[in-house]
Amino acid sequence: MNKSAQKLDVTPLVDESYCAAATQAIRCEATRLLTEGTVAAVIGYQAGRRKGTAMPTIVSSPEKAAELIFSSACVNNLALYLTKAKKEVRGKGRLAIVAKGCDMRALAGLIAESQVKRDELVIIGVACAGVYASGADRAAPLTNATIARKCRECVVHLPEGADLLAGSLPQQPMLTPLESQELARLEALTPAGRWAFWKEHFSRCVRCMACRQVCPFCYCEQCLCDRNRPQALESTPRPAGNMAWHIVRAMHLAGRCAGCAECERVCPMDIPLNLLNRKMAKELKELYGYEAGLQPQEKGPLAEYKDTDDQSFIK
Amino acid sequence: MSRIGVFICHCGENISRTVDVERVAAAARKLPGVAFAIDYKYMCSDPGQGLVKKVVVEQRLDGVVVAACSPRMHEKTFRNAVKSAGLNPFLCEMANIREHCSWVHEDREEATAKALDIVRLMVERVKKNKALQPITVPITKRSLVIGGGIAGIQAALDIADCGHQVVLVEREPSIGGHMAQLSETFPTLDCSQCIMTPKMVDVANHPNIRLYTYAEVESVDGYIGNFSITIRKKARSVIEEKCTGCGICSTKCPQKKIKSEFDCNLGSRPAIYVPFPQAVPNTPVIDRANCTWFKSGKCGVCAKVCGPGAIDYNQEDELVVEPVGAIVVATGFDLYDIGPKPADSPIDGYGEFGYGTIPDVIDGMTFERLASASGPTGGKIIRPSDGKEPKQVVFIQCVGSRAREKGISYCSKICCMYTAKHTMLYHHKVHDGQAYVFFMDARTPGKNYDEFWRRAVEEEEAVYIRGMVSRLYQKGDKVVVMGSDVLVGVQVEIEADLVVLATAVQARSGADTLAQKLGISYDKYTFYSEAHAKLKPVECATAGIYLAGACQGPKDIPDAVSQASAAAAKVMTLFARDQLEREPIVARVNERTCVACFYCKKVCPYGAVEEKEIRDRQGNLIRVVAYVNPGVCGGCGTCQATCPSKSVELDGYTDEQVMAMIDAL
Amino acid sequence: MHHSKKHAFEPKIVAFVCTWCTYAGADLAGTSRLQYPANVRVLKFPCTGRIDPVFILRAFQKGADGVLVSGCHPGDCHYMAGNLHARRRFAAFRTLIEFVGVDLDRLEFSWVSAAEGGKWVEVVTELTNRILTMGPLEEFKALEAEECWSGKLDTPELQEAYNNI
Repeated sequence: MNKSAQKLDVTPLVDESYCAAATQAIRCEATRLLTEGTVAAVIGYQAGRRKGTAMPTIVSSPEKAAELIFSSACVNNLALYLTKAKKEVRGKGRLAIVAKGCDMRALAGLIAESQVKRDELVIIGVACAGVYASGADRAAPLTNATIARKCRECVVHLPEGADLLAGSLPQQPMLTPLESQELARLEALTPAGRWAFWKEHFSRCVRCMACRQVCPFCYCEQCLCDRNRPQALESTPRPAGNMAWHIVRAMHLAGRCAGCAECERVCPMDIPLNLLNRKMAKELKELYGYEAGLQPQEKGPLAEYKDTDDQSFIK
Repeated sequence: MSRIGVFICHCGENISRTVDVERVAAAARKLPGVAFAIDYKYMCSDPGQGLVKKVVVEQRLDGVVVAACSPRMHEKTFRNAVKSAGLNPFLCEMANIREHCSWVHEDREEATAKALDIVRLMVERVKKNKALQPITVPITKRSLVIGGGIAGIQAALDIADCGHQVVLVEREPSIGGHMAQLSETFPTLDCSQCIMTPKMVDVANHPNIRLYTYAEVESVDGYIGNFSITIRKKARSVIEEKCTGCGICSTKCPQKKIKSEFDCNLGSRPAIYVPFPQAVPNTPVIDRANCTWFKSGKCGVCAKVCGPGAIDYNQEDELVVEPVGAIVVATGFDLYDIGPKPADSPIDGYGEFGYGTIPDVIDGMTFERLASASGPTGGKIIRPSDGKEPKQVVFIQCVGSRAREKGISYCSKICCMYTAKHTMLYHHKVHDGQAYVFFMDARTPGKNYDEFWRRAVEEEEAVYIRGMVSRLYQKGDKVVVMGSDVLVGVQVEIEADLVVLATAVQARSGADTLAQKLGISYDKYTFYSEAHAKLKPVECATAGIYLAGACQGPKDIPDAVSQASAAAAKVMTLFARDQLEREPIVARVNERTCVACFYCKKVCPYGAVEEKEIRDRQGNLIRVVAYVNPGVCGGCGTCQATCPSKSVELDGYTDEQVMAMIDAL
Repeated sequence: MHHSKKHAFEPKIVAFVCTWCTYAGADLAGTSRLQYPANVRVLKFPCTGRIDPVFILRAFQKGADGVLVSGCHPGDCHYMAGNLHARRRFAAFRTLIEFVGVDLDRLEFSWVSAAEGGKWVEVVTELTNRILTMGPLEEFKALEAEECWSGKLDTPELQEAYNNI
């Protein structure tokens, strides 16, 4: 590690004005929408109690709109609030929602899966330079050392298809794509090596289901893994059931996952879940040229087919 | 605890030679849930089946496993047997220990162990089997035929002759389609009108056919046996019931110079017109875009001269709903008519052939009208530019067809034959004329087809030049055709008086829109897709919808007629029963857990999945869920494998059944 | 019961097949009296489109050493496109489980038509022989036997907490 790299580590990636501009734009739009009565509520972020933190909020009066903020601490994917977390806000009328690039991809997916109607939604996109890694000190500035892994190789800093764009993107340095590097490292291992890697990780899983609860796409009323006739997956946190659960989860998200990596962020056992998601996204892009949530797609890669699909693996 | 009976067949010695059936029976007896197990020499024989029936009753069995041959062989036999003993047939399964075991393994120990495994798996499966009831769907014995060309007419007549009502919908003011425009037909050169018009009249007079012309299918609801069709009757401005077809309106109409579509713009027609003299029905229609009354509010001559008062300028489109049980789609084809490439078309045009710019470059259908005795020239072949008789005519085949780089890779099938016919018609009418044909291949499979083509070449003096034309241009009053003769290897240049392009057969424009209304699939050229290329060539994947004629792909008249009769036979087969009974292997949605992502709908090859609204007593919408129409579902189960929450289950192959088997491995 | 086992290890092979093509192909192998190893157990489905990847996973968990999924060739599907949907689904699934560390030599996909009794024999024999040389699939079995967290108590705090239990 040379000195310049060390120095780079602590250089803030964003400055105050970037957050302030985005915050200002969100407040302005939220106030307008709420005053005009265009929407019943705005789903966004407000400051948390501790310095530098942020948390999701639902604002339904113009006065409260001034509490909305945007900063690098706005980690949550708010699309979740449309499907299950706060289902009660649906049905009150149109909603506005603040969406980073990855959140936007989730919204696009949810629209394609008939969970949300586009015309019942005002999407306030934010130019997002990246958010903190889970556990990073929010009081310190966002740096190479504290930025979330998914953001290091983000391709959707600017959300596509939002109704407006809040803020503008600061100049960004190239960051080392740690997740892709890790993916490449795993791919280069033998199957036994990868098995050992995942076994170690999955064995830690306590089946708290936080990964499921936080995923915007896990909106099923009854999850496959809660089913008991037949019991498709063992529900106790034993290594065998854990392995099965994580395989099934990755399979269910294949071609849908927006890459927001919320599952990984909330995992109390630090299982690198987004590696699985990233792997599937990469494969489906290679196989079918498909990337979830980047353009309006009606079906998704695993719900359609082409006569010319690869079948080199089939005898 | 289940009470399952296991019946192990020796199949003479076919099974017992390699499988120790007594040992399998003894081991089966010890399986949990097995109340009875026995081996027998020929289980499928009368006494064998009798044994099964007897034991089902005596032992009060709630499941049966017959370990014998393949279920493809005798599943029906044993299911019927247990049914007659009072047990639901779907509680009986076959364990295939013959084709999958005794016949493919020699080692007795291995085969016996495997046979027992197979029996054990099936016992576990049967424990999870549920009694299923056959599904019956009532059938409305009326049929819709869309399209009144030769295919639609044939299908309608066949079905109507069988005693069932037919609703025939035709977009144009008259039935007849492309065939009515043709002069003579290959390979016999009989006049098209002579063989076509009697059939048209039959349609008009048939008591079982309700004819809607100048009408289109607006929407389609329902499913096999129970469709509801909304038909838009376009405003004709003529009251059909009052019109006698005397034709005085057309004669007196001051607008006479409108180009006749039927005559490929060669002749003209009035604003109130029937497309051609033998039209069925013989009721005119007002072409509102060209009628003086509709353009300026003045005129009204037709209304004044019409004795019965049939003219109604205020007529509006009318929607009619017709209940039918089956649909025959016979919408036919369009001819390729692209000159230069339009911006929004995937198909490159033939600008280099001067199509649409040089007046003496015409297409095959225009030539038909020129050659037709009832055509605008009375059958005299003259060129459009100056009315002179052409002495050198160049025919170019495969214009549009078999040109991958131009966007169409298929062969249009009919052009080789009709071009040969054109050269003959030309030779018969212009004795001193010379016909040249540029062709890639002469494709003449069909009864008496090759003989016909050879006649054109050998007896009727058509000069066939193998090669394609690279360019056409006007030079004075001639059209210069530059091409190559690849057999001789020379460049050819012909100064032609008339050039006839054998343009490709294309799907009807708007075929995709109709397909979406019907819920049927189509290929990349928007030809409709049959359910199986070889074994279901007239059925659509969507149950109750059948295909006839060129809407499925290029066809000549005999093929279109054959397929129309085949489609009619399919409809009649359906109508032979009062209700449709089908195996209850269909998908069923658990509405409690369905989250309406509609992945099932996206993957269903049958379009069997619908969106169902669940409402409370006040009628407020609670939520939307998926619903599988059992009349339409084909039973593949792709929906279940795709459903994230497993809220759709395929009866007979539920997750519970499958997993019970996997767990018993 | 005394088995005359040919090998010290008899692989357990599970085949998920569609009823219209591969099951019929296997029937044809039978009527043609072709011979193949007795290790395969066939589970019949209406269509490969019905086969959920969970089934494959579960088969491995329940002791299968090798899994075969087989259906109709493209264009032959009785349900038109079930096999084409399956093709994508399994293409995705196999990359996933390979990434998790399952050797793909243990998972075979094939198209076997109702006329290809010989191909059925070939596919099954080849897979069985391959698994025979690979040995049993220990990973899932070992996992099944493990009761709890295999991670090490690698921090002093955890160690202390554990000692206090």
